[in-house]
Amino acid sequence: MNKSKEQLLNKRYKAEQRFRLYGLSAIFMALLFLTIFIFKIFSTGYSAFQKTWLIVPVTFDAELMMLEQNPSNEDLQDADYYDIALKSMADLDPNANEDQENELKRMVSYFFEKEIKNELLNNPGLIGKTKEVYLTASDDLDQVFKGNYPRDLPEDQRRVSDYQLKIFDQLVAKGKVESKFNISFFTYADSREPELAGIASSFMGSIFSILVCLMIAFPVAVLAAIYLEEFAPKNRFTDFIEVNINNLAAVPSIVFGLLGLGVLLAIFHLPRSTPLVGGITLSLMTLPTIIIAARASLKAVPPSIREAALAMGASRMQTTMHHTVPLSMPGTLSGTIIGLAQALGETAPLILIGMVAFVNTIPGSPMDPAASLPVQIYIWAESAERGFVEKVSACIMVLLGFLIIMNLFAQIIRHKFEKKWS
Amino acid sequence: MNLILFTFIVLLGFTSYYFGRKKAYTIQSSNKRLTALPQFYGYYLAIWCAIPAFIIFSLWAIFEPTIVKLLVLSDYSNQGYLDDELNLIYEKTKSLSRGQFTGEITPFIEASAEKYLSLRSIAQSSKAVIVLSIIIASVAYAYKRISSNSRTREPVEKFLNAVLFTASLAAILTTVGIVFSLIFQTIDFFKVIPLFDFVFGTHWYPAKAFVRDSSEALDPSMYSDTFGAVPIFAGTFFIAFIAMCVAIPIGLMSGIYLAEYASSKVRQYAKPLIEILAGIPTVVYGFFAALTVGPFLKELGTSMGLEVSAESALAAGGVMGIMIIPFISSLSDDVITSVPQSLRDGSYAMGATKSETIKRVIFPAALPGIVGSILLGVSRAIGETMIVVMASGLAANLTLNPLESTSTITAQIVVILIGDQAFGDPKTQAAFALGMSLFLVTLCLNIVALRVVKKYREKYE
Amino acid sequence: MIKIKAKNVDVFYGKKQALYNIGLDIEENQVTALIGPSGCGKSTFLRCLNRMNDVIDICSVKGEILINDFNINDKSCDVVRLREKIGMVFQKPNPFPKTVYENISYGPTIHGMAQSKQEMDEIVETSLKKAALWEEVKDRLHEPGTGLSGGQQQRLCIARAISVRPEVILMDEPCSALDPIATAQIEELIDELKKEHTIIIVTHSMAQAARVSQNTGFFHLGHLIEHGSTDKIFKNPDNTKTQDYITGRFG
Repeated sequence: MNKSKEQLLNKRYKAEQRFRLYGLSAIFMALLFLTIFIFKIFSTGYSAFQKTWLIVPVTFDAELMMLEQNPSNEDLQDADYYDIALKSMADLDPNANEDQENELKRMVSYFFEKEIKNELLNNPGLIGKTKEVYLTASDDLDQVFKGNYPRDLPEDQRRVSDYQLKIFDQLVAKGKVESKFNISFFTYADSREPELAGIASSFMGSIFSILVCLMIAFPVAVLAAIYLEEFAPKNRFTDFIEVNINNLAAVPSIVFGLLGLGVLLAIFHLPRSTPLVGGITLSLMTLPTIIIAARASLKAVPPSIREAALAMGASRMQTTMHHTVPLSMPGTLSGTIIGLAQALGETAPLILIGMVAFVNTIPGSPMDPAASLPVQIYIWAESAERGFVEKVSACIMVLLGFLIIMNLFAQIIRHKFEKKWS
Repeated sequence: MNLILFTFIVLLGFTSYYFGRKKAYTIQSSNKRLTALPQFYGYYLAIWCAIPAFIIFSLWAIFEPTIVKLLVLSDYSNQGYLDDELNLIYEKTKSLSRGQFTGEITPFIEASAEKYLSLRSIAQSSKAVIVLSIIIASVAYAYKRISSNSRTREPVEKFLNAVLFTASLAAILTTVGIVFSLIFQTIDFFKVIPLFDFVFGTHWYPAKAFVRDSSEALDPSMYSDTFGAVPIFAGTFFIAFIAMCVAIPIGLMSGIYLAEYASSKVRQYAKPLIEILAGIPTVVYGFFAALTVGPFLKELGTSMGLEVSAESALAAGGVMGIMIIPFISSLSDDVITSVPQSLRDGSYAMGATKSETIKRVIFPAALPGIVGSILLGVSRAIGETMIVVMASGLAANLTLNPLESTSTITAQIVVILIGDQAFGDPKTQAAFALGMSLFLVTLCLNIVALRVVKKYREKYE
Repeated sequence: MIKIKAKNVDVFYGKKQALYNIGLDIEENQVTALIGPSGCGKSTFLRCLNRMNDVIDICSVKGEILINDFNINDKSCDVVRLREKIGMVFQKPNPFPKTVYENISYGPTIHGMAQSKQEMDEIVETSLKKAALWEEVKDRLHEPGTGLSGGQQQRLCIARAISVRPEVILMDEPCSALDPIATAQIEELIDELKKEHTIIIVTHSMAQAARVSQNTGFFHLGHLIEHGSTDKIFKNPDNTKTQDYITGRFG
């Protein structure tokens, strides 16, 4: 009897340990996913912050550029740079035939003409002289240089030819290939060419959308929360509003996209693909989040404060506006920031209202077509070019960076300014 | 023009506030008792300035375009144009007046454009005159009222209350907007495709329904066997099922561990770290699933002699499951922590171990709350879009093999609506019908889940 | 015969000391009452006896508590086995949100005390009978225990505690949430139970202590001021503080 009891106890303790282990491994699994995830994004994305340049000697031949003596600034603007650009690439291999010259040209981005032009505009004294100019390498060579491109594939399966690789290796040996911080990733708009694609347009699109979203959602949500928490009578109608809010917070985001498409675009004829429509759509999504946060922090203000103000003869409106609302602001603000962070990461509704269109200009206002950071991730992820893979990861890093900053900010507001009621 | 007018009215509002307050001080200085603080006199005037302005602006916005259109098109009446043609003429007129017209300019349209512009400018200036005169009249009336020192605080507060109430209607308006935007397209869709075919049909192939010429008559036979949503619904629930297979065990066990076992230090770090998973945008998960998990599973399958699609349901569902872990874990953590300590004490005092207490006392007590949180997770899985769009297939296969690719409601909506949509085309309407079904399904799940969780909370409060 | 012997027991909540150098002997098959003003540490001492203070992270216990001459604060002590021998009834009735039957069968199940359904039925019946609840609930054994009245719930908890045949039963103000009639029933029950179990009861009702107990200990601000037979403590205490408390000057 005693022995079986002993056995049972042993079994019970083993079960206890097993259960504990399950729990621990569940946590471990969740954290492992997170680690793999972050590692994967960083390891594929960090190289996008570097850009490969070919240093090519360019002869600024006035005749080829169709320039006359003592050209004015305007003449320089209108000059023809294509020929000297072509020539300087062709000169990399003096023995090149016509096909090979074409391949040489494709070793740099199609911006090479513009890059040469900028060089001369910055320094007009170069006419007739030769200078080494930094030209953006094509995305395939960029990937080769970063070691992301398998060189041992058969030639017909890769996008760089043996000939291009040979010339490229010569340039590398001569130290004429350089890797520098990729500023254009932050200043250029989207492009079909990975080496020229940047996040400026989608970044501005995101900023405009979020601003529109903030300007609509914040006031409406705060006012609604004040009404529901402080003034609303307890009846069926307010219950109905409450059910609505809680349900809206859990409605799939794509449904809001359909709302934007079916109402804002089809009925109100607002301009497609713009941050204005995106922002309105996102604000409808964010509204319940902010209302819920604002109500929670209004509820956290102890009734004694209200009673004190009311006992002094303040009206209910004055009590609310002078005491309750200011005291609840930290919680409301941090809830708002978290809501905006969610909106910033949202993709599906923006795709439906057309913000997925290819935009190669930087938008100047919420009425201009634009993408947004998450949509940019989607667009690039769907592109076939290998050069976009690292761009996607880098864009994700930028987006995650913003989300982390916003969340930290929300935390700080909550901890620094929120009063603890004991 | 509008902007100038608007600025002017705002300035007028501030001025009337200033004068209202000043009047209050004058009354005060003549040794009379004020009925409210001087600010309220100011607010009172400002409100009497804002409300008429708002009413006139909105009336104008509603009626001006219709009236202008009627007047412009009156030139074309009795000429036997159809409504559609008249609309086209009007669109041409408008774009010509904006200088954006690219087609051939006929003298007729040019004349209309001129008429349009002159009508618009008449409308604008009459709006300015009417707004300003009405505002001045109403402010003057209000000024007279405050001069006789009548009540100001009550009307002002009533007004604010009305503003607050209106704001609280936003949630209802949004819901109405959702239903509104979905329902008409859905009804149109079911006029062409019988409801029965949609709900029970097993072939989903919307690409077959190409855009028709509007003059062509509707031919329902063209769409038969095209919009059968069974494979879509099956795929949606299948992927959600895979996701929950990942999320429930991991999420629930981590929630239990955090609530019952973890020391406060571990909890302090592990909980926010797991919640990071919930803050990662879904498009990032989609990229991760498509770039890493899909190919990884494919290779793994090949090495075991299995044929795995690179866009398998397993990859999309698995990654979706990771995304849902934190929802389940923090909700069940909350639910478990709210089980009263006295129950734990009761069980420990009987000599139960921790896991026995959890399994036999706490878990049953917390079950309703946990079920609620799982239902919310399912609702999320069903409505998740980007992961499926990027990592799962776009062709709707009716399959229960997790290694093959399937498609979901959300993915189909995106596929159909990406790019240009032609409203009035059954294919576009199909997307809205899918959206309607998605909305209804998640609505039911949410309401049930929220009610269960709420009931549970009330029980232990 | 002495069942429990506490020597030099100190208890700390974090840095705050809650009990100072408690030494107390508890007689077998008698009722010992612990009395004192609220916050004096009597419940804390009670919870030391079945190591329930382990549940509170910041709580630490020093000193020796010998039960059957075995120190339960020793590392080799197994709390699960300890708590099987020492049952506890709490201030507020805390039946599990399960049926009456499952509430009682919980302890015997986890400790593997019944080999068959029949044996379990017997345990449930005898426990409920001993707790004087059988007649009231025998027709609704499979209804939720939370549906019973407050007094019934508390007797259910007592039945649950005795279902594993503990040697000692700790009661932490078991009647404080009950009406006078239910209280009288429980007190009667305690008198019955002491034949088979050693009972320690914390109460702040002196009348109750006088009615049910044979021995009494008086706690004040974490110190055990005085202990002895209930008669002596109530009629002729040695300490003036005890005298003051008993006569209602403070507390």
